[in-house]
Amino acid sequence: MKQFNAKNLMVSTVTAATLSLGTGNAMAEEPIRFGAIYILSGSAATYGEFAQRGIDLAVEEINDSGGILQRQVEVLYEDSQGKAATAIQAARKLAYQDNVDALLGLDSSGVAQGMVPTVPELQKPFIITHAATPDVTGNLCNEFTYRISVNVPQNQKAAAMIAAETDAKRWTTIGPDYAFGHQTWEYFGNYLKEMKPEVELMEQTAFPRFGAEDFTPFINGIMDADPEGIIISTWGGDLVNFIRQANNLGFFDQGYEVMFTVGAATEVLDALGDQMPEGVWLSTRYWYDAYDNEANTRFVEAYLDEYGSAPSYNSEGAYAAIYAYKQAMEAAGTTDGPAVAKALSGMTMEAPNGTVTFRPGDHQAMVSPNWGISGPMHPEHGIRTLTDIRVFDPEEVARPVEETGCTL
Amino acid sequence: MSGLGPALLNSLEMGLLLFVIAVGLNIVFGVLNIINFAHGALYMLGAYFGYTLISILGLPFWIALLTAPLGVAIIAVLIDRLMLRFIYDRDIADSLLLTFAIMLIISESVRSIYGSNIQAVYPPAILDGTVSLLGSPYPIYSLFVIAMGLIILAGLWYLFNRTRVGKIMRAAALDRDMAEALCINTRMVVTGVFAFGAWLAGVGGVIAAPMRTIDPGMGEKIIIESFIIVVIGGLGSFPGALIGALILGAIYGFGGRYFPEFNLLLPFLGMALVLLFKPTGIMGKGANA
Repeated sequence: MKQFNAKNLMVSTVTAATLSLGTGNAMAEEPIRFGAIYILSGSAATYGEFAQRGIDLAVEEINDSGGILQRQVEVLYEDSQGKAATAIQAARKLAYQDNVDALLGLDSSGVAQGMVPTVPELQKPFIITHAATPDVTGNLCNEFTYRISVNVPQNQKAAAMIAAETDAKRWTTIGPDYAFGHQTWEYFGNYLKEMKPEVELMEQTAFPRFGAEDFTPFINGIMDADPEGIIISTWGGDLVNFIRQANNLGFFDQGYEVMFTVGAATEVLDALGDQMPEGVWLSTRYWYDAYDNEANTRFVEAYLDEYGSAPSYNSEGAYAAIYAYKQAMEAAGTTDGPAVAKALSGMTMEAPNGTVTFRPGDHQAMVSPNWGISGPMHPEHGIRTLTDIRVFDPEEVARPVEETGCTL
Repeated sequence: MSGLGPALLNSLEMGLLLFVIAVGLNIVFGVLNIINFAHGALYMLGAYFGYTLISILGLPFWIALLTAPLGVAIIAVLIDRLMLRFIYDRDIADSLLLTFAIMLIISESVRSIYGSNIQAVYPPAILDGTVSLLGSPYPIYSLFVIAMGLIILAGLWYLFNRTRVGKIMRAAALDRDMAEALCINTRMVVTGVFAFGAWLAGVGGVIAAPMRTIDPGMGEKIIIESFIIVVIGGLGSFPGALIGALILGAIYGFGGRYFPEFNLLLPFLGMALVLLFKPTGIMGKGANA
C-alpha cells in the first residue's frame, strides 16, 4: 500500500509538473487529499457508491477549473462496513498513514455516534454527509465535526408540520430498530404533540431489526392497531421490501396518512418503479427536483450526463461537502486541519439544496428538508415524481442551539 | 390475539424458505464434514441468476426456477474440484477459512458485475396478487413458497430414505473409508453432495427473488440465519434443519406480530436456550453426527 502511494504520488507530481509549464510553479505541489469513509460493501453498499459518484463529480469539476489553492485534488476511499470500529480505524489510517487533509462520510447513525468522539484526536475536519442522528451535532459535538445533511430533528419538525395539517389523530411508527428509527419517532412525536396536543401517540409501534426482509408480521400488527397516521423511517433495501409486502397486504388502501421519511431516495424509487404507491408523503435529505437555483441546475445536469440517472440525496451531500471544503480552505488560505475546521464554522455556501450555513453553535448545516406527495412516473427517469413539493425554511425547522446539548 | 391465522402462515412461509436453504448447509456438513460459509453466497448467486434470466433476459419465472439453481450447482462443482478437494482431510477450521474466502470472492464478483444497486424481481402473473384467507388478504406468492418448501421437504425425505443414491450419501456420511471399501466412488459422492447442497441454496435464492430485494449483502444475512437454525436444530441433522427452520420462522412470524419490541433478541434467545439445555441442538448427536 505504501509503495502504491509513493508511486501514485510520483505520477501525480510528474503530471502536475508537466501541467505547471503552462500554469506556473504552484501546481507542482502535492495534491490536496480527502479521505472518504462510506459503506462500500454489503447490503447498503449502494449508498457508498452514490456518495462516491457525487465526490468524483465534484473533484472532476474542481480539478478542471484549477483545483483548490491551485493544487489538484484527490480522494481516498475507505469502507466503513457500517461498523463504528471499522470507521474509526479507517479514519486513523487516512489521517496518519495517508496524510489526508480532511475527512468526510458516514452513512449510518450508529457508526456516526461511535466515530464522532474520536475525531478531535485526528486534528482533521470531518463533514458528515448522510448520518442523521441528532447526537453528532448535539451532546457529542466537537470543534472538528460538521454535518452538511439534514438531521432527524430538522426533518421530523417538517414532518410534524405536515402531519399537524392532516385529519389523522392516532399516530404510530414503523422504523429500523436502532438510533435512527427510535429518534425519528421521538422527535416526530414530541413536535407533533407540541403543535397539536390532541393527537394520540400510540403505544403500539413497530421497530423491525435492520435487514429484517420479511415485514409482514409488523405490518399486520400495525394494521390491527388501527392507526390513522404512520411515520415510517425504514430505508434502503428494507424499504423496498416493506413497500412490496405492504402493497400485498392492502396497507395503502386503508386510508391512513402515510409518511416515509427517506422514501424519496432515488435508489428506492428506482428499484420499486410503479410499485411505489401514489399519494403518500415522501421525504429525503435532498430531492433533485425541489430546488430552483444555479448550483442545483448545474449539479443535476452534470450528474444525469455522467451517470444517466437522477441524483440520489447521498450523492448531493457528498458533492456539496467537497465544495464546502474548497470554500473553507480558500478562506483559510491553508489546508491545515484546525484552521480549515475553524473556517467552516459559520460559513455560508451555495449548494444544490440552496444556501447552506454551518451554524457555529453546533456545526449543523442550516438546510431545508423537503417533502412531497408521490405522483405519476417520470417519463425519462423511470421513477415516481413528487408533487406538492414543500421545501421548509431552515430556521423554522432547526432546534435552537440551546436544545441541542452542544456547547461549542 | 387476533390475526393468528396470518401469523401462522407467515411463520410457515419463512420457516420453509429457511429450511430449503439451511438443509443444504446441513447435508454438506453431514457428508463432507465441512461448514460451508459460502452457502449464503450461493443462495445469493441463485437470486442473481434468477434476476438475470427474469428481469434482464425477460424469460419466464419457471425457466429461471429450473435453470438458475443448476447454474449454481455447476459453480459449486468448480469450487469443489479447484479448491475444496485439497482440504477435505484437514481440520474443520481450514474449511471455514477457505469457504469464508470463497464467500468474499463471490460477493465481490457479484458486486462488480451487477453493481450494488437494490434489484427487484416480480413474481409471475399467476402468483401475483392476494387471496382472502382466514379473513385477511394473503399473498399468493407466499402460498407458493409454502408449497415449494413442502415439495422439497417430501423430495428430500424420499431421496434419503427410499433411493439408492440417498443410501450411498448416508453411507459416505457415516464412514467414508468403509464406503470406499464397498466400491462406492466417494470422490463423486462428495462432489455430488456439495453440488446438491449448492443447488438447494440456488433454489432458495430463486424462490426468494420475487419477494425480497436482491443486493450483494443478501448472502451474509442468510448465512447467519442458517447458522442459527443449525445450532437450534443440530449440526448435520436433516430433521434438525426442519425443526430449527420452523422454530426460527415462528420466532419471526409470531414474535414480530405479538412481541415486536423483542425482535432483535428473540432469535438469539432461542439459540441460547437450546445451547443451554442441549448443546448439540435439538436433533444433534454431537460433532460427527
